[in-house]
Amino acid sequence: MWAEFFRDLVDQGPLIMRGLGDSLLLTAIVSLTGFFLGLVVFYFRHCQFAIIRLILRGYISFFIGMPLIVLLFLMYYGLPPWGVSLSPFSVAVIGFTFNVAAYNAAYLTTAYHALDSAELEAARAAGFRPFQVFRLITLPQVLRFSVPALTNQVIRNLKDSSVAFLIQFNDFFSRVQELAATNFMFFRAYLFAAVVYLLLVMVLVLIARQIERRVMIPGVYIAPESLGSSAV
Amino acid sequence: MALIEIRRLRKLFDGHPVLNGVDIDVAEGDVKVVMGPSGCGKSTLLRCINRLVEPSSGSIHFRGAEVTGPDVNVRSLRQQIGFLFQQFALYRHLSVLDNTALGLRKLKGMKKKEAAERALHELNRLDMAGHRHKFPAHLSGGQKQRVALARALAMDPAVILLDEPTSALDPVMAREVAQLINRLHGEGVTMLCVTHDLEFASAIAERVAFLDEGIVQVEDRLSVLYEDHAHPSIRNFFMKQERSS
Repeated sequence: MWAEFFRDLVDQGPLIMRGLGDSLLLTAIVSLTGFFLGLVVFYFRHCQFAIIRLILRGYISFFIGMPLIVLLFLMYYGLPPWGVSLSPFSVAVIGFTFNVAAYNAAYLTTAYHALDSAELEAARAAGFRPFQVFRLITLPQVLRFSVPALTNQVIRNLKDSSVAFLIQFNDFFSRVQELAATNFMFFRAYLFAAVVYLLLVMVLVLIARQIERRVMIPGVYIAPESLGSSAV
Repeated sequence: MALIEIRRLRKLFDGHPVLNGVDIDVAEGDVKVVMGPSGCGKSTLLRCINRLVEPSSGSIHFRGAEVTGPDVNVRSLRQQIGFLFQQFALYRHLSVLDNTALGLRKLKGMKKKEAAERALHELNRLDMAGHRHKFPAHLSGGQKQRVALARALAMDPAVILLDEPTSALDPVMAREVAQLINRLHGEGVTMLCVTHDLEFASAIAERVAFLDEGIVQVEDRLSVLYEDHAHPSIRNFFMKQERSS
């Protein structure tokens, strides 16, 4: 039975590899766009204008509160009657970006609370502009404190990319689904998908731990669970 | 003319006056010490001078110019006034050298090498050059205070404001800081120090200003203030401290 499965797997190999490539591409893109939008949201989340802070608090609550699949369905199936028709890939990128950015902004905000406010005051007292204080003091520390949470989010993005097949995006999981539908070996197919995801996650975890080691601040330890890194 | 002239300075928090008409002068090359009990407004006074806190009324002249006006370039003002915080406030993610050089690079526009040389010179002056690659978490309280001083001195300020510089230090380190301040005083550095540590104050100045209930109650030699003073708050403060020391 396994030999038969692997024969089918090899037959479908090119399609499955393409699906895997698309899954990785989607993960990479939304990890980057979600990271940068998350940074922007985080920055303005602490700006001096109360109305902007309120709006961004609402943004974070809304997108963390809304299941990703609902957002994707809203955009993919809900928008065409309004004349907005987007490709599955575009919907996935936009939907994931809004969702991931909200999570990342929340992680950064949590890390912000671990900052020593005296350092920020010292930087202001030295004559740094508010943006310089952000760029030179706040951001380098907040990013370092957030590395576990941010890298876990990348892992979560990879795993969540599988839901994009529900809006007709031909990712890795959808290709495995097709394989299973042709030979009815569902258990083997899904087990294969699980092993592939697990291996990819292991690679990402290794990279994440390397980054953590490289950027940690000597002598400064912030409990990971207090920074939301237990997300995965 | 004094380097800093403070007149009738008031600061209200939620309608409550923390400073209620403070008059203080700091002359060039002077080490001025302001003492007073906790919560008397000492830190607020320092923060008003570099506008970390906005005064409610009164005037502060620095180098002859009013600093409380709306058209003052606050960033430029702050670059001329060094500030030492109670808890040192070193940037945790930067090494000792980078802590000292950051302002030189980003505020004074020095090249990396030039800033590092200048920072190293200041660290050397305070016997901290050997620790230049360490991070703040690996320094003792006294060493952190030296780095904070080096960071302030590197910017070549006209005056350094010291906010309770010994409150986070043990007595031995506090004495070291006192020696350091005396050395810098000898080199012509102007300082305004607020503290409630009598031993430290007596080690760095002969005269102190006593701040309480929002005003300078008295400015006199410490030896006079030790004596049984007519003003009850002064008597309480100095006699209590003398007993505890």
